[in-house]
Amino acid sequence: MIEKEKLKKYANKLMFDMKDEEYETLQEEFSIILKQMDLIGQIEGIEKVEPMTFPYANNSSLGLDEFDERDVLTVDEVIENAKSTAKDQVKVPKVVD
Amino acid sequence: MEYRKSTILDLRKSLDNNEITGEQLFEEANKLAHNYQNINSFVTIIDKYNHRKSNSILDNIPYALKDNFSTRGILSTACSNILKDYVPVYDATVYKKLKDSGALLVGKTTLDELAMGGTGTTGNTGIVKNPWDETRAIGGSSAGSASCVALGITPFSIGSDTGDSIRKPAAYGGVVGFKPTYGLISRYGLFAFASSLDHVGCFTRSVLDAAIVTDIIKGYDHHDMTSLKSVGKLQDSINDEVKGRKLFYFKDVCDPNNYDKNDSELIEVLNKFNETIDKVKELGIIVEEVEFPKELLMALYPTYMAISCAEATSNNSNLTGIQFGPRGEGNSIEEIMFDARTKGFSEFIKRRFVLGSYILQKENQEKLFKNAQRVRRLVVDRMVELFKTYDGLIMPTSGTIAPHFEDSSDKLSDKYLILENHLVIGNFGGFPSISIPSGFVNKMPISINITGNQNNDGLVLNIANKIEEKLGYKGIIAGDDNV
Repeated sequence: MIEKEKLKKYANKLMFDMKDEEYETLQEEFSIILKQMDLIGQIEGIEKVEPMTFPYANNSSLGLDEFDERDVLTVDEVIENAKSTAKDQVKVPKVVD
Repeated sequence: MEYRKSTILDLRKSLDNNEITGEQLFEEANKLAHNYQNINSFVTIIDKYNHRKSNSILDNIPYALKDNFSTRGILSTACSNILKDYVPVYDATVYKKLKDSGALLVGKTTLDELAMGGTGTTGNTGIVKNPWDETRAIGGSSAGSASCVALGITPFSIGSDTGDSIRKPAAYGGVVGFKPTYGLISRYGLFAFASSLDHVGCFTRSVLDAAIVTDIIKGYDHHDMTSLKSVGKLQDSINDEVKGRKLFYFKDVCDPNNYDKNDSELIEVLNKFNETIDKVKELGIIVEEVEFPKELLMALYPTYMAISCAEATSNNSNLTGIQFGPRGEGNSIEEIMFDARTKGFSEFIKRRFVLGSYILQKENQEKLFKNAQRVRRLVVDRMVELFKTYDGLIMPTSGTIAPHFEDSSDKLSDKYLILENHLVIGNFGGFPSISIPSGFVNKMPISINITGNQNNDGLVLNIANKIEEKLGYKGIIAGDDNV
């Protein structure tokens, strides 16, 4: 079973933490999913298959050459939802000493 | 005309004949939305009639929109505490198209948090009850969109579908759920869950209505590089001949003899599916059983989990509480984000993110993420090969009726790994896929699903429409004596 500390490390990398009992549920889930993922690894010749990242094999119909318009938010719109602002900027604590 | 039981076409006719006005339809929908608050279909109910006149078939038709679509000036929370006060400054393309068509937004519907769940129980505003039996879940993630059509609050609603999030709750709610070919409807303004799997689609009370709604909201959108140019009107395909069309189903998965005899509900669902196949054959449609590699079918769910969790982890990294959402506490920007994300995401979401992060770690990528993407290709290639012979796959949408809340869990399990998860095939390949009511088991609706090849949306809808006519469960509504 994957160690709780390892899971905590991954959670912290994602910038959040969980309760002890939540890590225990996660440990159980990991053992199920990793067991299931092992099945995938056993499929004959899997390593020779090209990974599929998108539903279409051929992306040529996507109209990539048609980006001739731009919609830009105003500064007021950008900061409308921010909890802390100063002038026309989102205010955050000092990041450089 | 009884509003709750009306299809879009019924309402259109009444509006055009001046038997009713848009204001009256909106008032009726608004009243129902408030009356049925015990079901928890809505995060936000719109109380003011707001209409942009058009000549569209949807002009003055009430509808509901899942709360993970951006609506300018209207709260859009994705049922997550991290977005609990978020009011967008732009409109999702789907919402804009519906607004331009004169459709009337009645409310934003409840979902599983960030659309990452299949139970309708993990949203921050509470569980969504199944209108057919309030002790049961309706499934998710588009739970509120399913329940509001099942109740007749609106004749259609909009949802999103990354694994089965429209089609499964549609089945549990006794309504039609359709997700078209990937890219046919723009995803701009839909809060991304797993971008390569996310689809926009609709809930309706008839297959024809699903074609009508999709015709309005489909089309190329320069905001979404994955959107497709629109091809013809889907409604025009609806009355084509189906005699001689060919469907297939997965042989072993649908055979009741392969399951525990004591699971009487599952056996009954499968027996009814086989009865449905007989009726489909009476339409002149050829239905055959096909052997699909078992190791691929067994790999569907872990493949879906690996890809969706990995993409979700990345897509949701912008939820920091800095630009929007509740601001966390701390002395540095890192501490603020850490606090906002710790408090803002539920346990369930965090578990999925950690799984996604683990899968994306350099040391695991090859074995977990890349292998999942390889299985995706094998499954899709095999399906495309089958679509050279067959017009579609027909399967039970689910092997169960809507589960009781105590049995409804999103914790990973390997019970019925294939029967409960085959709908993800539609997302892997971006295939058009529709679920329609096909009867009842224990007084709860059951459903069949039809999935066809990419861009064959019209054909899938046409076959589904003919089967809907044959089966006779069109327009069933919760609370009615139609069991």
